[in-house]
Amino acid sequence: MAQLPPQTIQRDPQLFYWILFPITVVMVLTGILRHYATVLMASPPKKVDQPALKEQRSLMHGVAVRSNFHALTAPSFKARREFLTTAFDAAATPPANPMTDPGAMDGMMGMMKNNMAMMIPNTLIMSWINTFFSGFVILKLPFPITIKFKSMLQAGVATKEMDPRWMSSISWYFLCYFGLQFVFNFLLGSDNAASQMAQQMQGMAPQAPNMFGPGVDANKQFQAEAENLAVIKHYSVLDDVEQRLLEGIKTR
Amino acid sequence: MPSHRDEESAHLCLGRLVNRFGDDNERVMALIGLMKEADATDDATLEVVLKEYEALLQENPTNIPIVKRRVALLRSIGRIPDAVTALTGLLDFSPTDSEAWSELSDIYFSQGLYSQAIFALEEVLVLQPNAWNNRGAAPHVHQIGIGDQNDSAKQLAEALKRFCRSIELCDDYLRGYYGLKLTTTQLLNDPPKPSKQAESDGLSPPNLSTLQKLDGLATEKLGEITRRFTAGERGWRGFEEAEIVAARELLEKSSSTTVR
Repeated sequence: MAQLPPQTIQRDPQLFYWILFPITVVMVLTGILRHYATVLMASPPKKVDQPALKEQRSLMHGVAVRSNFHALTAPSFKARREFLTTAFDAAATPPANPMTDPGAMDGMMGMMKNNMAMMIPNTLIMSWINTFFSGFVILKLPFPITIKFKSMLQAGVATKEMDPRWMSSISWYFLCYFGLQFVFNFLLGSDNAASQMAQQMQGMAPQAPNMFGPGVDANKQFQAEAENLAVIKHYSVLDDVEQRLLEGIKTR
Repeated sequence: MPSHRDEESAHLCLGRLVNRFGDDNERVMALIGLMKEADATDDATLEVVLKEYEALLQENPTNIPIVKRRVALLRSIGRIPDAVTALTGLLDFSPTDSEAWSELSDIYFSQGLYSQAIFALEEVLVLQPNAWNNRGAAPHVHQIGIGDQNDSAKQLAEALKRFCRSIELCDDYLRGYYGLKLTTTQLLNDPPKPSKQAESDGLSPPNLSTLQKLDGLATEKLGEITRRFTAGERGWRGFEEAEIVAARELLEKSSSTTVR
């Protein structure tokens, strides 16, 4: 089978300056803009009021006692267990509705703001590229790729026979969209808010269990913790510690 | 005024912190207060600072750095009961604050309220189970608290066990060995009557041969540490001079009693 001669397309060299370069610059600039917009719009961490703080810390205290009970002697552990289980059982408050809780609403607004900062520029740039640069073939990749990439790289160029190595302007936009993260890391530091990719990744990752988030039933948590405490079979690190010490010294 | 005070640098650093984090940051607020306390020359100024702290807390009662500064200030101007009240208030809404618990235990200890001090130290242990220096602190209190306790056997046994545990966690813990030596000597010289309650709690003191072995171990190790420290051996210079001196005195005292 004879090799097909490589396709050549006569391109205007000005395409590089008028399409490739502007798209890249605009992408970088919007990334930077988005970063600073997010920084400006970020709501400061909300103050926790005293009862809520007490609720959280008491629960953490219960967890600490439960997991480190071995540091205590039997009588002091028993005293704590009794105190904590009665206190936890008594602390029964119905959970607040997250939609009426102003704190929870704040959190949701924050998320909305972030999403907006991500979506609006994307939509604008996409439509801008579609209006101005659609249908241009702007560069040829320096390596061969299979036909499967055709639909990805030649979006907006409906030419059946064209080699998939040719790229259209909208494809260049997508390449920038996914590939500029490292440029932003370099320009803005590693915890920047410019890159959409990082944020999408974050969205995809399973949400970390938020112990004290809105809508979590504190009442149930307290009851579970009281139960956990009640079923502990106590032992102490102080049991036979002197024997352990003597043996450890001997074997050393 | 002591010569090592460098207020100029302190003010400079504080100024930079304020510029960077703003003067409404909780930690910066505490540092500003600390600076005012340091600059105060008489009790009246300190009272003014205290009033400022209280005003800040009125605004935001969960400002923990300020709560702690207030406790420290109350303690330093001698209003111990107020300091304890403030601390227990803090611990009521933040019971996971090991710093506050250890401060509370220190205050109780200074007032001679040993069982309260022990309770607070146990809380520190629950929150930081592997801090051997805290483990060291608890038995000291136990030991000193023996005088006015009825069940001294239990107290001494617990002190012994806690010293053992702190040595187990940190091999060359001088204070641990020191305390172990003190406790074993006390138990050997003056064996307390076994009490039923101590046995039921699993806190009966170990038998005689174990005690003697522990005593020997502590003596040996204290001797090794003091010897190597005095010789300036590599890796053995990190001890406090005063602690070494105390250890040596203890060793000398115990050897003289053995001879007698």
